[in-house]
Amino acid sequence: MNTHETSENGPILSLEKVSKAFGGVQAVRDVSFAVERGRIHAVIGPNGAGKTTLFNLVTGVYTPDAGRIVFKGRPIAGVPVHALVALGMGRTFQNVELFSGMSVLENVLVGRHCRTKAGFWGAVLKPASVRDEEGSARSFALSMLDFVGMAHAAERRAGDLPFGWQRMCEIARALAGEPELLLLDEPAAGLNASETRELASLILKIRDLGVTVLLVEHDMSLTMEISDRIAVLDQGALLAIGAPREIQADQRVIAAYLGA
Amino acid sequence: MKRPLANTLAYALFAAAVAATGFGLKNPYYFQVLTFIGINTLLAVSLNLLTGYAGQISLGHAAFFGIGAYASGIFSTHFGISPWLSGPAALVLAGIVAYLVGLPTLKLTGYYLAMGTLGFGMIVSVILNNWSAVTGGSSGLYGIKGLTILGVNLSQGRNGFFLIWLLVIATFFLCGRLVDSRVGRALRAIHYSEQAARSVGVDTAGVKLSVFVLSAVIAALAGVFFAHSVGFISPGSFNFLMSVRLVAMVVIGGMASIWGALLGASLLTILPELLQAVAEYEMATYGLILILVMIFFPEGLVMGIRSAYEHARNVGKRAHPEP
Repeated sequence: MNTHETSENGPILSLEKVSKAFGGVQAVRDVSFAVERGRIHAVIGPNGAGKTTLFNLVTGVYTPDAGRIVFKGRPIAGVPVHALVALGMGRTFQNVELFSGMSVLENVLVGRHCRTKAGFWGAVLKPASVRDEEGSARSFALSMLDFVGMAHAAERRAGDLPFGWQRMCEIARALAGEPELLLLDEPAAGLNASETRELASLILKIRDLGVTVLLVEHDMSLTMEISDRIAVLDQGALLAIGAPREIQADQRVIAAYLGA
Repeated sequence: MKRPLANTLAYALFAAAVAATGFGLKNPYYFQVLTFIGINTLLAVSLNLLTGYAGQISLGHAAFFGIGAYASGIFSTHFGISPWLSGPAALVLAGIVAYLVGLPTLKLTGYYLAMGTLGFGMIVSVILNNWSAVTGGSSGLYGIKGLTILGVNLSQGRNGFFLIWLLVIATFFLCGRLVDSRVGRALRAIHYSEQAARSVGVDTAGVKLSVFVLSAVIAALAGVFFAHSVGFISPGSFNFLMSVRLVAMVVIGGMASIWGALLGASLLTILPELLQAVAEYEMATYGLILILVMIFFPEGLVMGIRSAYEHARNVGKRAHPEP
């Protein structure tokens, strides 16, 4: 594999023989695949297949025992999580991790942190440049809330919102950092059927913005409906990868899911 | 956006109250008590930045108060440096110490951070007590010069009152601006979820270290003023008990609230004055107050009073429905 692709042309993310074990449990073994720009990619698998571990490896929370992960042409090993965000990687959490005591708008403004600069003296002295930056950060944050359909909740305390709304706000917060790659950890978990449909159309809208989406998901109907490409994990290893139709027809995948 | 206006109004009222008190009062005892309230408010605000906003618990904050007081006291008495120079030097020293201490300890969270800062506080306390040649040991450091300009002493009596409350107002203003900014939002975000803050691009380690240093420098500022105002310092003012007292001020007044720090500091400065008869039971009294506040006003007195007021107003509205 050519490891010197320029960041503009090659895959936005590639995993090269990535493995991770916890004690004696091999959570992810020898997984390799690439995520093409501008697509919706899904990673699916039964419970315990290693999806969450894989997600944490890609977001820099865990370090692989072997193999490497390349984001925009550079290996992410040793890059702190916050620096990955600045490079253009955004994420959401399976259980939604909003800053519960802050307003929804403030949450999204924190998501803007890596694209703004004001420091301590800027905060205290508030020169015109800082006021401008704050103003444009606010309007950007509001436009992201509008994009996910949550502008009406901007001034509400994030922790008070219903769960489905919180998930939308969390996506807005991730989008505020202008990611090139957005990682969604089981975005449909805890949503009802109509909320899941809204989520599906939102993810399609996000792709249309030019943002690459990688989602780890349990909900098969959602993934089959919106994904361009699906990777199936089973017991930590890559079982199959392909377009939704190919995956649905794959005997090994059916066996893994039905436990046969 | 009504909040900035309300804030400006609150600051103006507060400044007016300080001025009226300063010019109206005559009794030197009151000035002394009010000056101590000012010093404690400064300390409570500094700890509130760290604990109330950023959610980082420190049980050794009195150490920075002590470093400020002792460094400026030692520089000015042993080396004959003007307090106007020894003071800033003490602030820089406290900032450097905070940076070096914060680098390893801020990797800890929750109880472990509390234990780490507790240990640091103990170490400083031991040094103040035992490095007698420099600190004067347990009998303390005497004869610290006042802050004077053209022969006028600015650190005592009415002048001292004005100087410390001017510092308090300046710090309130600084903290108010900081909290409502990009950096302040990152601070508060760390309080709710450090993991989430990191994952949206906040350099959490860097932000925590910066606020730790800032908080230490403000505490040291209180220490510098204290040393030059009282003229005599001893290790007892900067021990573990003082650190606990500071935590109590922040918790009782209300976390993440500037006015809460003022209220907490005022209560815990005045109470011991009123309860001199039961001074031996000071810690027990704090414990009892903390327990009661936690049970009845878990968000602190300021929020407790505010929600009680709003509750009463809503009840009033219901009792008198619009025609």
